[in-house]
Amino acid sequence: MIDDELITVLLEQRGKVVMTTPVEQIINRGHAVRNRHRVHGVVAAAGAAAAAVVVTVSVALPASRPAGSHPAASHLPAGHPANLPSARLTAWTVTRLAGGSIRVTFREAADAAGLQRTLRADGVPVSVTFTGQQNPACQPYSAGTSQAFWPFGPSTGPLGGARFIANPKDAYTTPYALVIDPSALPSGAGLQISTSGTPGPTDSFQLDVSLVQASAQCTGG
Amino acid sequence: MDMGSPSLDFAEFYRGAKDDCLFAVLVSVGDQDTAQDLVAEAFARAWASWSSVSRHPAPAAWVVRTALNAGVSRWRRRRREVPVPDLALVADWPAAGETADGSVDPRIMAALLRLPARQRQVVALRLFLDLDTECTARVLGIAPGTVQAHLGRAIAALRGDLVPTRQEESQS
Repeated sequence: MIDDELITVLLEQRGKVVMTTPVEQIINRGHAVRNRHRVHGVVAAAGAAAAAVVVTVSVALPASRPAGSHPAASHLPAGHPANLPSARLTAWTVTRLAGGSIRVTFREAADAAGLQRTLRADGVPVSVTFTGQQNPACQPYSAGTSQAFWPFGPSTGPLGGARFIANPKDAYTTPYALVIDPSALPSGAGLQISTSGTPGPTDSFQLDVSLVQASAQCTGG
Repeated sequence: MDMGSPSLDFAEFYRGAKDDCLFAVLVSVGDQDTAQDLVAEAFARAWASWSSVSRHPAPAAWVVRTALNAGVSRWRRRRREVPVPDLALVADWPAAGETADGSVDPRIMAALLRLPARQRQVVALRLFLDLDTECTARVLGIAPGTVQAHLGRAIAALRGDLVPTRQEESQS
């Protein structure tokens, strides 16, 4: 048996397994998933609010600050918002590169508000959500939706070739990484970073990045 | 794409992709009930994020990856269970002649399940889901050359496993 025959025999097996779950049942389950995402969003917002309180307390009472900081903090410029004591540096790292580009490394889909705040402070108009839902205030930048995916990367998506976003060499392996050049963003445009899948480690979610109209409600102006 | 009727689009996608996704996941996890449950969960997540997933360059690959990720997460939650597939599970597949016509050839499934996990994933995506090498590499987070190497080794192993059986069949 040559390889072509072997592959044909293998492919013949493909049609012999049938998914019997009705689409209505899938959609019902999808409703439950969507509701779960909403609950996660509410919990995440509450968590972010609680973290903000902790930051305030920590700054006001330096002696109560946890000893040491995460190693990733050493890569960040002094005064960078992510250097605040309780920032979730283990989930992601934002690094300013020579030439003004910014590298974001994702290890976990957590602390979306912190990442959004950090990137905005670095001059990236951006909306970040890790709830599985996109920010409803965000509108696509153009009629032809621009979107990129990790681990698939933008080369197969409409963002392919765009100068404002790029994949480092190791972007397709976890942790995911992308490089943003804010100065190359089209005029009036911002980025929307969201996730599909489930919140948590990078093997649980996929990252979606799309180009959106910059606005106060979406990208912070 | 008619974005005004996302449910219809999803239903169409589901009908067209469900069986291939199920088979791809089945080859990876080795158990049909588990595979069906994981794929159903993945399609449900696809529906919940359909505005995004529908624009994905390979939505079926998204579903398979999500299903496999869900399987990994499930296994992590149940550490005491043996990660599937295991060689012991191969024995669970009925012997030839025990299945009705039209079902998966148990010897082929057993041979697939004897492959290392990564080779099985490459076979599932590259052959059964018909993704190209580049896309398979991205789904699995490995280099395209590694995909080709895994596929080559998998085909060689399957050839060694299945060809003698097939030759015996043709001689009898």
